[in-house]
Amino acid sequence: MKKLISNFLVVAAILTISACTKTDNYDGPNASFQGNILSSAGGNLQTSSGSTQIKLQQIGWTTPQTIPSKFDGTFEDTKLFKSAYKVVPTNGAFWPVTDTIVVNIAQGTKHDFTVTPYIIIKNLTTSLSGTTLTIKYNITAPIAAGLPTIKDTQPYVNTTKLVGAGASIRDFSDVNSVTINKNFTDMSDADKSVTLTVPNLLPGRTFYVRVGVRLSDSFNSSNFSEIVQIDVPKS
Amino acid sequence: MKSINKLIIAISITVGATVTSCQKLNIPPTNIFTPDVIYSSEAGVKSFLATIYQNLPIEDFKYRPDQGFKTGSNDWENFYNSAGVTGEEVGPWGGVDIAGGFGYWPYGDIRNVNILISELPKHVATLTQPTVNALLGEAHFLRAYYYFGLAKRYGGVPLIKEPQDPAAPLSTLQVHRNKEQETWDFIGSELDLGYQMMPEASDAGRANKYAAIALKSRVMLYAACIAKYGSVNFVDGPARAAGLVGIPADQATKYFQAAYDAAKTLEGHYSLYNANSDKVQNYVDLFLKSGSPENIFIKQYSIANHTAHSWDATMSPRYMTANALSRSYPTLDLVQLWGNLSVTNDDGTPKRFDNRADLMQGLEPRLLATVYFPGATLRGLTFDMQRGIYPSFSGTAAAEVAKQPNSRSYVLAGDTKTLYQGRQIIGFTGPWTGGDELTRTGFYVRKYVDYNKPQAAVDLNRSEQPWIDLRYGEILLNRAEAAIELGNTTDALTSINQLRTRAGATLYSSIDLTKVRNERRMELAFENQYYWDLKRWRTADVVLDRAHFKGLMPYYVFNENKYIFLAEPELFNREYTFQKQFYYEGIPGGEIGKNPNLLPNNPNY
Repeated sequence: MKKLISNFLVVAAILTISACTKTDNYDGPNASFQGNILSSAGGNLQTSSGSTQIKLQQIGWTTPQTIPSKFDGTFEDTKLFKSAYKVVPTNGAFWPVTDTIVVNIAQGTKHDFTVTPYIIIKNLTTSLSGTTLTIKYNITAPIAAGLPTIKDTQPYVNTTKLVGAGASIRDFSDVNSVTINKNFTDMSDADKSVTLTVPNLLPGRTFYVRVGVRLSDSFNSSNFSEIVQIDVPKS
Repeated sequence: MKSINKLIIAISITVGATVTSCQKLNIPPTNIFTPDVIYSSEAGVKSFLATIYQNLPIEDFKYRPDQGFKTGSNDWENFYNSAGVTGEEVGPWGGVDIAGGFGYWPYGDIRNVNILISELPKHVATLTQPTVNALLGEAHFLRAYYYFGLAKRYGGVPLIKEPQDPAAPLSTLQVHRNKEQETWDFIGSELDLGYQMMPEASDAGRANKYAAIALKSRVMLYAACIAKYGSVNFVDGPARAAGLVGIPADQATKYFQAAYDAAKTLEGHYSLYNANSDKVQNYVDLFLKSGSPENIFIKQYSIANHTAHSWDATMSPRYMTANALSRSYPTLDLVQLWGNLSVTNDDGTPKRFDNRADLMQGLEPRLLATVYFPGATLRGLTFDMQRGIYPSFSGTAAAEVAKQPNSRSYVLAGDTKTLYQGRQIIGFTGPWTGGDELTRTGFYVRKYVDYNKPQAAVDLNRSEQPWIDLRYGEILLNRAEAAIELGNTTDALTSINQLRTRAGATLYSSIDLTKVRNERRMELAFENQYYWDLKRWRTADVVLDRAHFKGLMPYYVFNENKYIFLAEPELFNREYTFQKQFYYEGIPGGEIGKNPNLLPNNPNY
């Protein structure tokens, strides 16, 4: 009886091991796609979490996928299936890109997109007095005609270098927002020269600060400044 | 000998079984009803209709906007309502979590209706012509209701008007989307057919001709607003360019007029519930008493059939029920639609109250019947909301609320047992931050809560009060909104003042669009309408733009033996943002996989 059982187990083991030996004859997602989203005004487009994306539509497939842009305007996805894709940058504060390009994505494919931002933030200066931070900057637009309404402008303050919409401390950031609600062409020079204050920063801490201008486009998207490090001295 | 006997018995059993076995294979399956059974009597058709009614997309107590029309297990979580993302309430949602919908795609149900519509005319002989006509009218109403559930989510959808043959070539089964305007027009014409063909009266829970025209007033208002406001505030994309979403702006007037005409048709056939001269009690009873002349179309529930809902057990705190918990609470922002509460003196200091209930003095009866205030009573128990105790209080309300929590001088507690000098610190009914089963805003829902139910009977799936899907109150609001959009202020004012009379509110002497819309919010609070209203007015991305909502926190001031109320952020201080792309939901990915002709998908999906 024991022998019977052990024989049976041996047979079962052989069957189990020999089953499923067929290997998948399709390649895994080993293609990659990376690059920069360049601003027409020079440099990379300043972005934030949950905003600019690269939309990829695999030819012969129905549902699109997206690669989110990193904060510095670069993007990278290393787990794509090798194929031809229609690609387009979307969801950010730049003039819509209507013509999609077809890219054959394989291992190490690189591509840079150039977009025209709605708003460019210039002459950003910061000054700290005690625990109150004052930020001054100018709002400019590469193309003024037909620009979506400017909703508001605000500082973004965080304790890490990842700072922007969705990555900021509300009490320092959203609550210090300044409402504009005007078309760019109706804004006076005074409107375009903004001064923001962030009071009551914590002494002895380092903060990362940038400013954003939000527009009422399809995504309520924001243009951002570069990120500035602020060290608040111990009182 | 014995073994031969056994053999004979065995053989005869085998032969007997074999011979008789294969005789009845060619009978109709007894567990499936064939058309001749269904259509041989009105009762047969009724049984088929029951399924179609059951699946109707009625956004009732059990509707969960991110999961669908719930039945069976977990259909008790009635606090997952759309009011919890719009600022009418704050609820279990972390933000606007419902905007993606739940992939609603009821073409199976629509097929049932299509089968009904194609079969009924073949059975005039057995059912008689008037019966067939009435049933056909009902079927057109039901088909419109299903397509309305689709159109308000996706815009244009494929209009399937006949049962498809599963054996037909794939190319004919993969139907393209119709334009959004065609979709709304189809729903309108179906409801016209329903109105023409159905009788005046019906069993409770079934539609009559007035239900069809009442739904039409709602539907046409949606279409009109999409034309008017959707052509200003939109996300562009291929689907919009093809007309699959969006209606030309010049069509708005036509639809507003259709909404107005439909609403006016109901005049004289239904009226506002006014049975009780006590205005608060009257408004409470409107949602609980059967046979109200205001009810046009209702959905019923039954404990015996396992369809009962759990509104009573999930809208009031456990303190007042036999089981379960609440998680969804009216905001101060909603309450302030009725005007600011008088909780602050002219100098900015909080008013001192001897009793919490004094807060309710002079408030509009409809407000008191919609929301349970601190000091109100239910099932013999008092809503004793108290956020904490101030040993003493000085200064203004605004200055106190602006302070960081750790520099405020109040005493809070993690449970109801903790005492401060012998006095309970937080109320049995909250507010409390340890969880969300006690109010986060200082208020509880009163609308639809059955105050007559004894506490021991308030349990999960034990509530049977019907959901009033269409009531004359809404019709008056539809009429007023259409009228004001058409410039007919006199008619709008009359309709709104009818509602305000019943509500016990002061009457308006003039009217504008804002007043009409606010009246709608007040009258239809928690009735799962405001989310869609925000969408069709295309104001959701403005109203819900990083929005935070407030509560009214009652405190006891110890050294004065008085109560004060402070307006503060609701205790979880959650943020609500509605993206513009959410004005339409994306076509479900699985359906696109089956039918690529549904592309292009809605903008930004």
